[in-house]
Amino acid sequence: MAGQDENYAAFNSRALVEMVGDVTDEALKATKIKQFLSVLAGRYFNWAGRKSLFTLHLGIKCCAIEMAAAATPRFDGDRFGVLFRSSPRQSDVLLVNGPITKKFADKVVRLWEQMPEPKYCIAMGECAISGGPYFQSYNVLEGVDTVIPVDVYIPGCPPRPEALIDGFGLLREKIIRIGAAPSSGRKGEKPIIVGED
Amino acid sequence: MAQMWITMGPQHPMTHGLWTLRVKVDGETVVDTEAELGYIHRGVEKIAESRDFTQITPYCDRLCYVSAMTWANSYIYAAEDLLEVEVPERAEYIRLISAECQRLASHLMWLGAYGPDIGSLTLMTWCMRDREMFLDLLQELGGSRMHYNYPRIGGVKRDIPVGFADRLVAKVKLFEKRIEEYEMMLDESTIWLVRLQGVGYANAEDMVNAGVSGPNIRAAGVNYDARWAHPYSVYDQVDWEPAVEKPTSVKGADCYDRYRVRMEEMRQSCRMILDAIEKIPGGKNTNYSNGDEMILAKAPTRAPEGATGFSNYECTRGASKFYIQGGGDGRGKNPYRLSIRSPMFITIPYVAKTMIGYKVADIPAIMGSFDPCIGETDR
Amino acid sequence: MGMRVSNEQSDSAAESCVAILSKRFGGSDVVSTVEHHSNAFKMAFVRIHCPPQHWPAVAKSLRFDHGANYCSMVTGTHFPEGSDDRGWEVVYHLMRQPVVDQKPFTNTVLVASELTGSDIPLEFEILVALPQGDEPSVPSVQSVWVGADWNEKETWDLVGIRFEGHENMHRVLNPHDSPEGFHPLQKQHKLRYHDYNEMYDDAQGFGRKPTDEGRVK
Repeated sequence: MAGQDENYAAFNSRALVEMVGDVTDEALKATKIKQFLSVLAGRYFNWAGRKSLFTLHLGIKCCAIEMAAAATPRFDGDRFGVLFRSSPRQSDVLLVNGPITKKFADKVVRLWEQMPEPKYCIAMGECAISGGPYFQSYNVLEGVDTVIPVDVYIPGCPPRPEALIDGFGLLREKIIRIGAAPSSGRKGEKPIIVGED
Repeated sequence: MAQMWITMGPQHPMTHGLWTLRVKVDGETVVDTEAELGYIHRGVEKIAESRDFTQITPYCDRLCYVSAMTWANSYIYAAEDLLEVEVPERAEYIRLISAECQRLASHLMWLGAYGPDIGSLTLMTWCMRDREMFLDLLQELGGSRMHYNYPRIGGVKRDIPVGFADRLVAKVKLFEKRIEEYEMMLDESTIWLVRLQGVGYANAEDMVNAGVSGPNIRAAGVNYDARWAHPYSVYDQVDWEPAVEKPTSVKGADCYDRYRVRMEEMRQSCRMILDAIEKIPGGKNTNYSNGDEMILAKAPTRAPEGATGFSNYECTRGASKFYIQGGGDGRGKNPYRLSIRSPMFITIPYVAKTMIGYKVADIPAIMGSFDPCIGETDR
Repeated sequence: MGMRVSNEQSDSAAESCVAILSKRFGGSDVVSTVEHHSNAFKMAFVRIHCPPQHWPAVAKSLRFDHGANYCSMVTGTHFPEGSDDRGWEVVYHLMRQPVVDQKPFTNTVLVASELTGSDIPLEFEILVALPQGDEPSVPSVQSVWVGADWNEKETWDLVGIRFEGHENMHRVLNPHDSPEGFHPLQKQHKLRYHDYNEMYDDAQGFGRKPTDEGRVK
C-alpha cells in the first residue's frame, strides 16, 4: 500500500474486504467446501438459466410467424420459461428464423456480439440452416452458421411450433451438459438437429 | 431543440418484419422519415427464371408468408393467362374458399400483432387462438400450416375432404360471434379509441396516386376492389359487398377507419365462405380424386416466346400483380422474366411520409394500421 | 350477389381509349391495341407499344386525358439475344381506378353495372423497347405518378435501366455497397450452382466473424 504511508494504522474498507475475502477463500479451499459450493452454485445457475431462456425478439421471415404461434395459447412456449425480450443485452438465445442476406449479415453478427455470455443460437427453418429454397440466390448466405456458431438446428419449412418447443428442450439438455461454456468453446460439439433420433 | 435521426432498426418489436425506419425527431415530434428495405431480398425473380411454372408456386407462398394462399393464387392466375388454361368451376369455388379463409387468418394475424403495438396483449392471445381455427382448415386442404403449395395451373391439387364442409361452417359461424366479442372489447375501450382516432390521416387522392390499394384505400371511402373491378374466379356468383368505410375527416382516413375496414372485411369473408360452400358445383361432401377433371384441367407446360401473362389479384394487403414473359430456358418451360408487384413495396414509403407531424409514440399505431408484411416487399 | 364489371363495359372502355390514342398519336410509332386476357373472364385491356422518345407525352396523355391515375408496376427485361431495336424492354402497367375526390363522411356507392365512360376501371400495358447496348435509358415518369418512384428505383437496382430525370436514385433492394454496375437480373449473371456443382457453405463474401470469441462477459 504505497499510497497509504501517512495512515497505515487504519484500514480503508476496500482493503478490509479484500483481506477478509482472501482469508475466507483460503479456509474454504482447505476444507474442500469451496469446491462443493461451486458445484452447487453451478448447478443452481445452470438450472435457473435453462429454465428461463430469454429469446431475442427477432422476426426475419416466415418462421417468425411460427415462433409467434409458439408463444400463443395453443402451443404456449411460456410455460417452458421462454420469454421474448426486445434488447439483445437482455437475452440468452438468438433464434434465427429466416434467410440471412448480405445486407443483414452484419447486423446479425452485431446482435450476436451484443448478447452477453452464456448465449446460444438456434437456427430455425431451412433458410437459416442452409439457405433453404433460396440457396442459389445472389443475396442469401447459405445458413447462419457461416457467420455465427449454432447450437441447435430445427429443420422444417416452416417447422411446426411443437418442433420449435422440442428444439428448446434439446437446447436445455445441451445446457445441462456444457454448462456456461463460452460460445467459442463449443466448436467440437456434434450439431443437434431436431427430429434426428 | 436539437433535431436528430433515430434508427428504428431492423431488429425492433414494432416493425412487423425486417426493415429500418429512420425518423428525424424534434423533441417528440416526427419531422422527417426515411424507410430502408431490402434486408430479406432473396432474389425470387431471378430464381424463378430457372424453375418450371409448377416449381414457382412454393416460392410465391413464401412471398407474403402471412397470406400465402392468396399470393399463390395470384401467381397461378398469371400463369394461366400465359398458358391459356380454362379452370373448372369447382376448382374456382375451392380457390375462393381457401383464399377467403386465408384472408381471415391474415387479418387475424394483423390484429394479433397490432394489439401489442397499441398495448393490448390480450388481443394477441385471442386473435392467434382464432387464427389457429382457420389454419387447421387450411391444413386439411393444403397439408401445412403456412406454406401449402395448393393451387395448380388449371385447378387445385386435391379436393376438399369429406366432412370439411361441416367443420368449415361450424368454425365460420363461431367466428362470426367472435368478431362481435372483439368489437365489444375494442370499440368501448378508451385506450384503443384515443390511440387510433385522429392519428395517421391518409388522403384518398394521394394514396391512389401513390399506388396504395386494398383495405388502406377502402378505409378512405374509395370503393375499389379488384374482385369486382378486374373480375376473376367466381366472386360474382357469391353474396358479398366490398367493405368500405367513410373517412372521418377532410384529411382522409385515420387508423380507426383502417381497423374498421378490416373487421368489416372479415365479416364479408365469412359471408362469402358460407355462401360458396353451399353453391359449390358437384356437392360439398364429394371428394374427387387428385387430377380429376372437376378440379384440375390439363395445362400446357411450355410458353412460347412472346407470350405474356398478367394477373391483378386482390390480396389481403392490396393489389398483387404478376407479369410473366414466356420463352425461357428449356424451350419455354421456364419463364423468361417473372415480375412481382407487391402492394406493400409501394405503401411503405408512402406510410413513412404519413407519420410526419405526429409523435414518436404514434409511429407503431400508424405503421401497424397499414399492415406491413416485409416478405412480399423484399421479394 | 357480388357485382362485377361486365365484358361489354371493359370492351367499350378499351375501344374508346384506343380510338382517342390512335387519333392523337397515330402518325408516330405509338401503336395501341385492344387485347384480351386469356383466362378468367377474358377482360379487355389496352396495350401500347411506344418508343422511348414519345413516352413522356404518352404518359401525360394517359394520366390527364384518360384518367390512368394508378401506376401499378414497372418491369425491366434484358434481351441480350433480341433484335437490334429490342435489347431491353420496360413494361409499365397502369390502371384507371374510377374513384377520386372523396369527401369526408361519404363513401362511394358504386354499382358496377352502372359505370360508364371513363368511370370504368381499365388496365393499360405500355411496352417501351430500347435498343441493344450497354446503357439503356428511358425518360422517368416520377413527376407524373408518385407510385412510379420506387418502382423505377427497383428496376434500376435489379435490371440496370437508367431513368433520365429521376431524382434521388439509389439502391433499394440490393445492399448499398453493391459493386457499381452490378444488376443481378441481367442475363449474363447466372445463379449459383447453375451447373450442379458441389455445394459448399457460401457466405457470399461476408467475412466478418463475431469479435467476442472466447471473451467471457
